[in-house]
Amino acid sequence: MLELKGVSKHFTSTKAVDDVSVTIDDGQMVGIIGRSGAGKSTLLRMINRLADPTAGEIRFGGQDVATIKGRQLLNWRSECAMIFQQFNLVGRLDVITNVLTGRIYHHGFASSMLKLYSPAERAFAVHALDRLTMAHTAMQRADTLSGGQQQRVAIARALVQEPKILLADEPIASLDPLNAKVVMDALRTINREDKITVVCNLHTLDTARKYCDRVIGMAAGKVVFDGPASDLTLEAARAIYGADLGDFTEEMTSTDLDALGRPPAAAIGTAVDGQQLAS
Amino acid sequence: MAPVRTLSALTEADIAATRSANPDAFGNSRKSLLIYAAWASVFVYLAFAFIYFDFGRIFEPSENAQRLLRAMFRWEDMETWQYANIYRGIAETLAMAFLGTFLASLVALVVGFLAARNIVRFGLFRHTVRRILDVFRGIDQLVWALVFVRAVGLGPLAGVLAIFISDIGTLSKLYSEAIENIDRKQVEGIRSTGAGPVRTIRFGILPQVLPVFLSQSLYFLESNTRSATSLGIVGAGGIGMIIIERFRATLYDQVVFVVINVLILVAIIDWVSKKIRMKFIGEVGE
Amino acid sequence: MAVTTTPLTETGHPQDPVSIYEKHRTDLQRAKLGQNILFLLLFFGMLIFSIVTSQFYPERLAQAASRVFEYFGTIMPNLQWDLLFEGRDEQGRAVEGSLTFWYTDLDKYLSLIWETILMAITATLLGTAGALALCFAGSRNLMKNSWIYFFARRFMEICRGVPEILIALIFVFAFGIGPLAGILAVAIHTAGALGKLFAEVNENVSRRPIDGIRGVGGNWFEQMRYGVLPQVLPNFVSYGLLRFEINVRASSIIGFVGAGGIGQELNRVISFYSDDRVLAVLVLVVITVTLIDLLSERLRLYFIGKEQL
Repeated sequence: MLELKGVSKHFTSTKAVDDVSVTIDDGQMVGIIGRSGAGKSTLLRMINRLADPTAGEIRFGGQDVATIKGRQLLNWRSECAMIFQQFNLVGRLDVITNVLTGRIYHHGFASSMLKLYSPAERAFAVHALDRLTMAHTAMQRADTLSGGQQQRVAIARALVQEPKILLADEPIASLDPLNAKVVMDALRTINREDKITVVCNLHTLDTARKYCDRVIGMAAGKVVFDGPASDLTLEAARAIYGADLGDFTEEMTSTDLDALGRPPAAAIGTAVDGQQLAS
Repeated sequence: MAPVRTLSALTEADIAATRSANPDAFGNSRKSLLIYAAWASVFVYLAFAFIYFDFGRIFEPSENAQRLLRAMFRWEDMETWQYANIYRGIAETLAMAFLGTFLASLVALVVGFLAARNIVRFGLFRHTVRRILDVFRGIDQLVWALVFVRAVGLGPLAGVLAIFISDIGTLSKLYSEAIENIDRKQVEGIRSTGAGPVRTIRFGILPQVLPVFLSQSLYFLESNTRSATSLGIVGAGGIGMIIIERFRATLYDQVVFVVINVLILVAIIDWVSKKIRMKFIGEVGE
Repeated sequence: MAVTTTPLTETGHPQDPVSIYEKHRTDLQRAKLGQNILFLLLFFGMLIFSIVTSQFYPERLAQAASRVFEYFGTIMPNLQWDLLFEGRDEQGRAVEGSLTFWYTDLDKYLSLIWETILMAITATLLGTAGALALCFAGSRNLMKNSWIYFFARRFMEICRGVPEILIALIFVFAFGIGPLAGILAVAIHTAGALGKLFAEVNENVSRRPIDGIRGVGGNWFEQMRYGVLPQVLPNFVSYGLLRFEINVRASSIIGFVGAGGIGQELNRVISFYSDDRVLAVLVLVVITVTLIDLLSERLRLYFIGKEQL
C-alpha cells in the first residue's frame, strides 16, 4: 500500500505540489490527470525520489521512502519501476541490454560495469520482451526503434525489475493513437495479471476513464478530485482543467481511435446554443 | 506458453530453450566476440609493455626519487631564493612567446596569401610554398630550439627564432585556409565597384579574415607561452633555464615554486586572451 | 561636393542627414579612441619590452642569420647523384656520397623509431585510462559534489599545465634514463589534456538515459557507465586517436632529457656532432610523424561512421 501524507514540493516562489495526501491500495490502477504544470510529474517523481519532497511522508511497505538514502534508496528504486514520456532508454545500446539494465541493482560493481548478466536474467529479459511482442528486436540498437516500440522496451525493462509498483509519467504523450492503445493495454495487462499497482500520469480524460479504476485530478499542486472513474463527470473535469471555455468536451482531448465514430464536438469558442464566445 | 512473471519462475530447461532460440541475446554474437577480442588485445599489449619498458622500476624508487619527493613539499630558506631571477625569467618567457608569435603572424600575413588557392593560381609555386611550410611545421618547436641553440648560442634569441620558424609553418597554413574559405560574394561586390587587386584584398578579403587571423594568433600566443617554458629547458632562454639551473643545483623546492608560478602565468594569459577575444572578435569562447 | 556645417536650429540640432551621420561617426570614434590608444600603447610597450629582453637587435639577428645558414651547411649530407644508390663494397664499407653512407646507422634509428611508436601507444592507452577516470568527476553536470569536481578539474589542469619535458626530467631523475620516464610523462600530460576534452563532451549529453538508469536503481557509477558512456564513446575514440598523433610527436622529442626514443639519439647527435647525422635523424623523425598523422586521419574517418564498443 502506498501512502502519501502531506507531501509537498516547494520551490522558492511556487508550490509545485501542495500538501497531497492519498492512499493507494495494492493492485489498483490509478490515473492522475490535470493540466500541464498541475504537479502530476513532480508528484510521481517524488515517489521514486527522482525529485525530493520538501515536506511530508511517503510510506510504502512500512518504510518512509521520502527520507531513505544510499543503498536503501537504490533498493526502493529497483522495486519501484518507472516509465517515462521520452522512454529514457540508452539509444546506442541494444534492446536486450536496455532491458537487462533493469537488473542493475542486483549486481555488484564489477559485474554491472562489465555487463555480466546471468543466463537466467537474460532469459527473463527475452521473456519480458516477448510479452510486449518485441523479442524480435532484441539485438537492434534502441534508437532505431519507433516511439511506440521504445516504450514497450521500457515496459519490458520495468518488468525485469520485478517491481512492486509501476509508475508511468505521461507514457503515451509522445505516441500516436495506435501505439498509445498498445502501451495502455500492456499496462493494464500487467496490472491485472501480475497484480502490480500502476500509477499513471495521463493527459487525456478518456484514457483515464477507459483504463483506470480510480482517477485523481490535480490542479495547481493540489488534489481536486479523487474517486472511481465513473464519478468523473464533466463538471469535475472542468474543475480539474479549470476550463473557462463554455463548451468543454472530452473529445477535445481525446486521442482515442474509437472517438472517430462519434459526431464531431462543437468547436472551441462557440457554445452549444450557438452563442459566440470570446476567442 | 504462460508468461514468465518472476525470475524465480524460470526453470533450467526454459533458460536453455530460450538460449537456443535467441543465441545472440546471450552475448554470443559476433559483435560481442570482436569487442572482447579488442579489449583482450589491449590488455595483452599493456602487459607486454609493462615488461618491455620495465615498469617495475616505479616500485623501487631510487634515493633520488625520495629526496625529490621530500624536497617538493618542504620549502626551506625561502629568503635565499633569488626571486628577481625567477621573475626575470618569467618576463623573458613572455617576451619570447610574444615576439615569436607576433613576427610569425606578420610573415604569415604575406605567406598565407601566397599559399591560398584563390589568390595564387599558379599551382606549382603554391605547392612549393606549402611543402616548405609543412617542413617548418613538421619539425617540432623544441627541435628547432635545439638547432638554434646550436647555431646562435644559449638564450632567448634561439627561443624566439624557434617559435618564429615553427609558427610561420602553422600560422601560414591556417591563414591560407581562412583565406580560401571566404565568402566570394563580398569580394565580387568590391571588385564590381572597380577596385584593383590591392583594394580588393584590403576591403573585400581582409575584413573577413582579420578576425580569424587574430583569433588564431591569440590561440598560438597562449600555446607558445606554455611551450616557451619547455624551450628554456633545452637552453633557449626564459624560465625553463632557471628551472634547469635550480634542478641541477638540487633545489627541488624552488623548482616546484617556479612551476606553480608558470601555471599561474598560463592561467593569466588564458584570461587576458579571453578578454581580448570578446572585445575584438566578439567571440564567446571558453 | 563640399560639406558645409549647417546652421543650427534654435534648439541646437544639426539639420541635414549628412551632418547627423558625421557627428555620430566622430562621436563613436572619440569614444573608442581612448580604448584604442590604450591598447596600442600596451601593444607597443609589449613589443619593445620583448625585443629588448630577447636582445632581438638587427646586428645580433644578422650574425644569427649567417650562423644559422652556416650550421645548416654543416649538417647537410654530402650526397652525389651518381653514387646515390651505391650499396656497400666488398669489405662492407659504404661509399661516401651514397644514401647508404648517410644512413649508416639506419638500423639503430629504425629500432629507436619503433620504440618511440610503442612509447606513444603505451602512453596514449594509459593516459586515456586516466582521463576516463577523471572526466566524469570533472563534469559539472554529472558531479554534484562541488569539492570533487573542483579537485578533479584542478588535477587535470596541473597534469596539462606542467610541461611534459619537465615531468620527464623529474621521472628520469627518479627512475633513471630510458623510455619509462618518457611514457609516464606523456601519459600524465595526456590524462590532463584528454580529461578536459572528455569533460567538455560530457557536459553536452542528454539527461534522459541517465534518468532511466537512476530510475532502475543504479548508483552514480552505473549512471555513468550505462547512461553517459554510450553517448560519448565515439567522440572519445576520435579524441583519443588525435591524441595518439600528438603523442608520437611528443614521444619523439621527450628523449632530449634522456627519456628514451629517437629523441635521445637526436639530442646526442646534435650535442656531440655537427654533421649530416643530425639531418639524417631529423628527416626520419619528420617522415615518421607525417606518416602517423596520415594513418591516424584515415583511422578516424573510418571510425566516424562505425559502431563502437
